[in-house]
Amino acid sequence: MLNSIRPKGRVIFGYLVIPVVLFIFTVFVPLVAALFYSFFDWKVGPNKIFNGFDNYVKLINDRTFWASFEHNIFLVLFCIIGQVGIAFILVMIISSKLVKLKGIHRTFGFFPSTISAVCIGFIWTMIYDQRRGILNFILLHMGKINSMKDGPIWLNDPSKVMTLVSIPLVWQYIGYYMVILLSAVASIDTEVLESAELDGASGFDRARYIVLPLIKNTLIVCVTLCVAGNMKAFDNIYVMTAGGPGYSSMVMALYGYKTSFETGYLGYGSCISVAIFVLSLIVIGGSQALLRSAMTDKYDKIEAKLQKKRDKEMREAAKAKYGKGGLR
Amino acid sequence: MVKEKDTLETLAVKNESTGQKVANGILGFFMNVLMLVFSLSCIFPLVWMFYSSLKKKREFNADIIGLPKVPTLDNYIRIMINPDYRIGYSMWNSTRTTILSVLLIIICAFIVGYILARCSFKLNRPLYIMFLMGMLIPVHSLMVPIYIIFSNAHLLNKWYTLLLPYLCFNLPVSLFLVEGYVKGIPTALEEAAAIDGCSFSKSMFSIILPICRPILITVAIINVFGCWNEFSFALILNSQAYQTVPLALKNFTGQFTSDYPKMMAAMLITMAPVVVFYFAFSKQIIKGMVAGAVKG
Amino acid sequence: MKQKIVSVLLSAAMAATLLAGCGSTAATTSEAPAAAEEPAAEEAAPAEEEAPAEEEAAPAAEEEAPAEDASAASSELAYKGEISMMHFSTSEEAEGNGGSDAMRTTIASWDANHPDITLNQEVLANDDYKTQIATYASADELPDVFLLQGMNTISWVNQGLVLDLTDYITGSPYADKYNMDYLVPFTVNDKYYAFPALTGGTCTVVIYDSALWKEAGFDEFPKTWKEVEEAKKYFDEQGIDTLAFGNSGQWQLNSCFVSCLGYQYTGTDWFSNIIAGNGDAAFTDDAFVAALTETQRLFHDTGIFNSDFNAINNEEAREYYIAGDAAAFIGGNWDADYIKANLDEEKYKNTKFAVLPQAEDATKYEKFQNIGLGYGLAINPKVADDPDKLAACIDLVQTLTGPEFADYVGENYALGGFTKADFDLSAFDQYVQDFYNFSYVDNKGCEIYDSYVDSSVWSVLNTEMQEMVNGDKKPADVAADTQKAYEDYLAGK
Repeated sequence: MLNSIRPKGRVIFGYLVIPVVLFIFTVFVPLVAALFYSFFDWKVGPNKIFNGFDNYVKLINDRTFWASFEHNIFLVLFCIIGQVGIAFILVMIISSKLVKLKGIHRTFGFFPSTISAVCIGFIWTMIYDQRRGILNFILLHMGKINSMKDGPIWLNDPSKVMTLVSIPLVWQYIGYYMVILLSAVASIDTEVLESAELDGASGFDRARYIVLPLIKNTLIVCVTLCVAGNMKAFDNIYVMTAGGPGYSSMVMALYGYKTSFETGYLGYGSCISVAIFVLSLIVIGGSQALLRSAMTDKYDKIEAKLQKKRDKEMREAAKAKYGKGGLR
Repeated sequence: MVKEKDTLETLAVKNESTGQKVANGILGFFMNVLMLVFSLSCIFPLVWMFYSSLKKKREFNADIIGLPKVPTLDNYIRIMINPDYRIGYSMWNSTRTTILSVLLIIICAFIVGYILARCSFKLNRPLYIMFLMGMLIPVHSLMVPIYIIFSNAHLLNKWYTLLLPYLCFNLPVSLFLVEGYVKGIPTALEEAAAIDGCSFSKSMFSIILPICRPILITVAIINVFGCWNEFSFALILNSQAYQTVPLALKNFTGQFTSDYPKMMAAMLITMAPVVVFYFAFSKQIIKGMVAGAVKG
Repeated sequence: MKQKIVSVLLSAAMAATLLAGCGSTAATTSEAPAAAEEPAAEEAAPAEEEAPAEEEAAPAAEEEAPAEDASAASSELAYKGEISMMHFSTSEEAEGNGGSDAMRTTIASWDANHPDITLNQEVLANDDYKTQIATYASADELPDVFLLQGMNTISWVNQGLVLDLTDYITGSPYADKYNMDYLVPFTVNDKYYAFPALTGGTCTVVIYDSALWKEAGFDEFPKTWKEVEEAKKYFDEQGIDTLAFGNSGQWQLNSCFVSCLGYQYTGTDWFSNIIAGNGDAAFTDDAFVAALTETQRLFHDTGIFNSDFNAINNEEAREYYIAGDAAAFIGGNWDADYIKANLDEEKYKNTKFAVLPQAEDATKYEKFQNIGLGYGLAINPKVADDPDKLAACIDLVQTLTGPEFADYVGENYALGGFTKADFDLSAFDQYVQDFYNFSYVDNKGCEIYDSYVDSSVWSVLNTEMQEMVNGDKKPADVAADTQKAYEDYLAGK
C-alpha cells in the first residue's frame, strides 16, 4: 500500500474506535455470552447448571443437527449458482445494447428483496399449494395432471422440499446481487463493452474476458455474502415449512431457534449457535481460499489449457504428416 | 501476416453484417423477453397482493389467484381504525429508526471500508476478519444472550435501542461492498492529492466519497429495506411503546385465525412508504448507482 | 351486532387509555368509591398485615353481585402506580374468539375502574408472545402479570418464576364458583400457580354436515372408523373428501387428534402417570404405540383425509368443509367458532358435532373429547415485595377470571371459563347449544396432552408424527424418540 497516503496511527485509531467498539459490544459480546452459556444445562428461566462439555457431546451425536448442516450446504451451493450466477447473467444481458427498458428491469428486479421474508414465504406457499396453487394450475392446463387434487403436494415431499424452499430464496435475492454487480459493472467503461459488442465479441466472451476480471473483487464479495447469508438462512423456511415435513427442510438456524424457544433448552440452543458460527467460519474460509485461487489463476489456467490444446493439435498434425514416428 | 489477418477479419465481419443483424435481432428479442419475464415475475407479487387485499376472506380462501369479484376497501378501513395498530406512531418509529440507522451504516461503512482497503497497519487484516465474522452470527438463536446483554447495559426500550443492532448487524455486508469498491479505484487520485498536501481526512471525504457514491447508494437501498422490515430485534428489544411497523403488522395474526387478505392489506400499508419512495426515486437512485462511477 | 358495537366502543376507550398511559400516569381521576374490599386481602397473604384497615368490608354481598358491580366494588386498592401485563388477546384474536374478546373487555373495564393504577399492557400475537415471554423468563424480567402456558408450569415453577397463588385461589371470593378441574395443569406439588384464563373449549371435535352423511347412509356421524372408511366410497364418487384436516403447523395432529384418540387406547390413567412422571407410564407403552399406529393407518393408508393434510394448516382445511369440498372436519373449538361465522344458512342448520369414532382395536373406548384451559394468569414473585402492588395484581387476575369475565363469555358466546356462570342457553341457536352440550355436557372430558409435561417432549412428538403420517417413519420409532425426550426432561426436572 501507498506510503504517500498513509495516515498517522492515531488518525486511523480515531476513525475506527467507535465503530469497532460498538460492533464488538453488539455482535461479539452476545456470541461470547452464548459460548459461556453453552457449557450450562439451562432451560428457560434464571437458573443454570454447569455441565461442562455435555452439550457439545450431545451436538456431535445429534443427527438432526448434522442433517440440518447438510441442508445448509445444499442451500449455499444452490444459491451461489442461483443467486450470484443468474444475477451475473442478467447483469450482462441488461448491459447489452440490444435490451430495452433497462431502467424498468433494474427497478423491478430489485423489488422482491424489498419485501419482508414473511410475505415472500407466504406468496410461495400459495404458489406451491396443491389445490389452489399456481404451479398445479399450470400443470393442469398443460394436461400433466387430471385435476388439482391429483397434483403433487409440493411441500410435503421430503426429497424435493429443500429445492422448493431454495427457489424463493434465489428469486428473492437475484435482484439484490444484481444491484451490487450493476454498481460494479458501472465502473467499467461502457464504451469498452459496446465496442467489444460491435466488434462481434459474443456475450459470453465479453462476460468472461472483459467484465469478469474487472469485477473480480465484487464477485468475491457477492459469493461471500451468499455463503454467509445461507449458512444462517431462517425466515423464508420458517414461514414456508417450519423445517417440515418432519426435519426434511430443517436448517441450522431454525433448529437453534426451535431448540431455544420451542423446547426451551437455552444452553443447548447456545451451543448450536456457537456451532453454526464455527461451521460457517470453516465453510466461508474454504470458499474464500477456493475463490481466490480460482480467480487469480484463471488466466494462467486458461492459457495453460490453450497451450496444451495447441500442443496436442500440433502433435496430431505432426503425427498425420510424419506418421507414427512423429517429430522425434 | 498480422495485417493480412486483420483485413481478413474485417472483411468477414462486413460480409456477415446482414446475417449478424438477423442474429442480433433474434438474440435481442430473446434477451428482451427473458428480462421481461423476470421483471414481471418480480412485480407480480405486488400486483397479486394488491388485488387480493381487496377481497374478503371467504372469497380469497375459495380462489387465491382470481381477481376480486366485488372489490372492497373493507380490509384497509378495518386496519386504519384498529387501535392496536397505532399506525401513525408505528410509522414514525420505523421512519426514525430506519433513517438514522441507514445514515450510521453509510458513515461507518464508508470510513471503515475505506481505511481497511487503503491503509496498511498491523490490525488491518484482523479487523477485516472480525467484521467478516460478524456476517456469520446466527441472530435468531442468539436472541436470549442479546436480550440479556442489552438488559444489563440498560439499553432496552429506548428510542435509540434498535439503532445499535441495525448498525452492527448490517455493517459487515455494507463494509465489504465499500471495501471491494474502493479497491477497484485507482490510487492515482489520492497520490496526487497527497503530493498537493491534502490531508488524509480531506482526501477521504472530498475525493473518494464522491467517487463512492454508486456503492453508497447501493448500500443505502439494501439497508433501508432491511431495517424497515426487520422483525426479531424489534420484537425482543423494545416494548410496544416503541413498536415498529412490522410488529404492528403482526397484530393481524391470531392464535388460531389468519385473515390473509387483511394481512396483505396490512403488509401493503407496511411496505407503502418504502415502496413509494423506491419507485418515485428509482430513476435517480439508479442514475446515482451507475453514473457516478469511475471510468477505466 | 349490538355486541360488536359495544366491543368497538370498548376498544376505542382502551385506545384512549393506552394513549393516556403512554403520555403520563396522571389519568383523569374520579373519586374512587370508598369502602370496597380487596378480595384476596381477607384470607391469606402475609402481605395483608401491612395493608390498610379499610379493606374490612364484607365480601358476602359482593359474591352475589352481578358483573357490573363486581368491578366497581373492588376498585379501592391502596396501590398507586404501574402494573405491567402481557397477553396475546390482540384485537384480531378477539374477533370471533369469545375468550379473547371477554379478556379485552374485562381488562378495559378493570383499567377504567382503577384510575390510580396504570396498566401497561404488552399485547402480542400468540407465537410472538411465546418467544418474548421465554426471553423475559430467561433474563428473569417477567412482567408483573402474564399468561403461563400449562406445559411450562413445572419447569417455570422450579425456576422460581411464578408466585404460589394457592391461598388466593382457595380464598378467592369467587372460589365456590371455580371449576377446580381446570387447575390441574397449573398445579405443582398440590400448590396452584395460576388462575386458568380465557375459555375452556374442546380441542378435538368432528364437525360434519349431517345432510351429506345422510346421503351417504348415516343418520349421524359413524361410531367407528370402519364405517367412516366405508362412507369414503360414497364421498369419492361425489368427488369430495371424507374428512378435512390440516397439520402444517405440526401441533394440530397432537392437540386435535392423537391427544383424543390416544385415550381410546390408553384410558385416563396412563396420561396421569405421564404427568406425574412416576415411571408407571411411557410413550413406548404398547397402548400408545397402537394409537400412533392407528393414526398412521388412518392418515396414510385409508385416504379418508384430504391428501394435502400435511401441507395446509387447520385454517385452510376448515375452508374445505365450508366450501363443501369435505363432508366433515376435525379441529378445535376455535375452528367451530370460525365455521359458525362463515357457513351459509343451509349448511349451518345441517352442521352437527361428534366425538372421534372408535378405533377397532381400542380397548378403552369412551366418548372422549379433550378439553381444558391451556393458559393461566400468573404473577411474578417479585411483585410480592410490595404488598399493595400484590393486592392490586391479585385483584386484577381474580377479575379477569371471575364472574365478570364468565358472564360475558357465557351470555355472548355460551362458553365456560374457570368461573362457572349461569346464563340462558336456550337463548342461543341450535348450533351453539349443540356445541355447548358437546363440550360441557354429553361427553367424557379428557386432558389435552400439550397442556402438560413439557414443550421439549411435544416438539419431538409433533415433528416426528408429521413424518409418520406421511409414511416415512415407524410409530415405534416416533414413540422411542419421544420417550427419550421425555426422559431427558424428567432427568432435568
